[in-house]
Amino acid sequence: MTRSSNSSFAPEETYGHYLDGLLTNNRLRCREIFQQWLDSAPELRTLYEQLVRRSLYQVGELWEQGKISVATEHLATAISESLLNLTYPRLFAQPRNGKSAVVTCVSNEYHQIGGKMVADIFELNGWRGHFLGANMPEADLKLLIEEKRPDAVALSLATALNLDRLNHTVAEIRDAFPTLPVIVGGQALRWLERAQVETQPGVRALNTLGELEAWIQNGPEKKHV
Amino acid sequence: MFEDPAIAEAMRAYVLETAPVLALRLDAQHCVTASNSQARKMLPANLVGRPFAEQIVTFSHPVDLPALIRQGGLVHRLTVNTASGMPESLDFRFFSLPDGVLALGSLDIQEQQHLSSELLGLNSELNNLTRQLHQANAELAQLNQLKNQFLGMAAHDLRTPAGLIINYSEFVLDEAGDRLSAEHREFIEICRAAAEDMNQLIENFLDVSVIESGQLRLQFAQSSVPEILAGVGPIARMLAGRKKISLLVESPDDAPPLCVDKAKLQQVLVNLISNAVHHSQPGQRVWVSAHREAQQVVFAVRDEGPGLSPEDQSRLFTTFGRAGTKKTAGERSTGLGLAIARKVVEAHGGRIWIESTPGHGATFLFALPIQEYTAKP
Repeated sequence: MTRSSNSSFAPEETYGHYLDGLLTNNRLRCREIFQQWLDSAPELRTLYEQLVRRSLYQVGELWEQGKISVATEHLATAISESLLNLTYPRLFAQPRNGKSAVVTCVSNEYHQIGGKMVADIFELNGWRGHFLGANMPEADLKLLIEEKRPDAVALSLATALNLDRLNHTVAEIRDAFPTLPVIVGGQALRWLERAQVETQPGVRALNTLGELEAWIQNGPEKKHV
Repeated sequence: MFEDPAIAEAMRAYVLETAPVLALRLDAQHCVTASNSQARKMLPANLVGRPFAEQIVTFSHPVDLPALIRQGGLVHRLTVNTASGMPESLDFRFFSLPDGVLALGSLDIQEQQHLSSELLGLNSELNNLTRQLHQANAELAQLNQLKNQFLGMAAHDLRTPAGLIINYSEFVLDEAGDRLSAEHREFIEICRAAAEDMNQLIENFLDVSVIESGQLRLQFAQSSVPEILAGVGPIARMLAGRKKISLLVESPDDAPPLCVDKAKLQQVLVNLISNAVHHSQPGQRVWVSAHREAQQVVFAVRDEGPGLSPEDQSRLFTTFGRAGTKKTAGERSTGLGLAIARKVVEAHGGRIWIESTPGHGATFLFALPIQEYTAKP
């Protein structure tokens, strides 16, 4: 898809201002830059990866290093999440292909923005992305899979601490739905080995939205080989 | 009595147990040897004997606990595992003891963090609902598009047979009408009338399909108000004449030229006049007029019919939004005419409305902005 380009648009420069806006709770400034990226970025994935994900990872690192407070980190997350709403008119206008994915965060996982971007990438590629939100109990997740009968399930893992819960959820899904493709992604994968996540057949760990898009476009069946 | 060492010890123990502070005693290897009630409540069970560092949640940067302890008394925000399974961030201070370390974690920030997390959760929930709303809206828009496509296709295919029935009915009536019995002639007239109704319905469906799919293309050209009114005269007089209703057309002398799609506007006027006639009794009057008001020209169609209640008025210009009033001669309505009229008027940058009091007739008005016509190259 080609979007109208803005000749004065400087991604790297505006990224710095955007990050400053997130850290100083300047929602309007962030919104302005986000809109500029939305109008100029050729793909929504570029916007998600190079503006939203990059800035939130950086915010997370600053928090880990004790340079910003939890409150600041929370505000940055809240601002980022509300800005994603701006993409919806473009996102949901895509033609559907009849496929669907259930996307959620495992129980006890409260960082949902990554999962939401994953659901959006499914939408961008013609799938229906059912986003179930953060902290999804396993029993409810299985009921929803039963109800929606998706073509894939995507689980988001933001904190490595929740790895055991993730693997438990994956095992439960595999037990109840033996052939349903399961993909796992999220910030925690940066610190985990692929083998720690791909514990069941038909489970695939994907590190970036680009990998996810390739997985969607190449077909889930290829992951079994 | 408070100097009594036993009381002092009891009070010390009480304060230590009840203070809003998480207290851990660590040995020289930084393993937990004792904890107060807050620590036991908040931290995972069976902590005693285990290294405190095990409870610290680390992400990409490992926490150097001995280094923090050496800094003695400074505040360090650490994220620790808790009994609930959710990691919590607390401000810790470490104080060296002769045989180990006292770790004190402030619970003050915990409440703030809970509130902040709760607010964040609500914000996330709101955002999720917004997402679902957009998703549902997009689905509805797609369904509406499908409906319009279907409507357009179906109407298009129905128009040909309806036209054939009308034409052949007329042939039979014109060429062989005098050879038919009165009853057979009536049958064919009923067929023709029904086919004309159906044709009108199909035309309306096609209009709605075109308008709602965003394909309404107006052919703007300069036109005068008398010209527009004159164009609807013959059909309006025919409609009124059938029911013996007097039609009064008042054309203004001073109206400026308008930049409009004349055919579409005449369709709007015919719709309004037809509507007025349908709700009028023989012998009543229908007025059609236009006048200038500031930078707009207002067209009006007034009747002496039963009028409309405010509830009926509110749904009048919506698709299939028929009023509760009955047609005076049993005429049928698709409920689409006024919706089409509104879309056409709005596509001209104008607006349409009704003024009516039940029992005292109704006036349908629409205002069009006065714009200069600029011919496109």
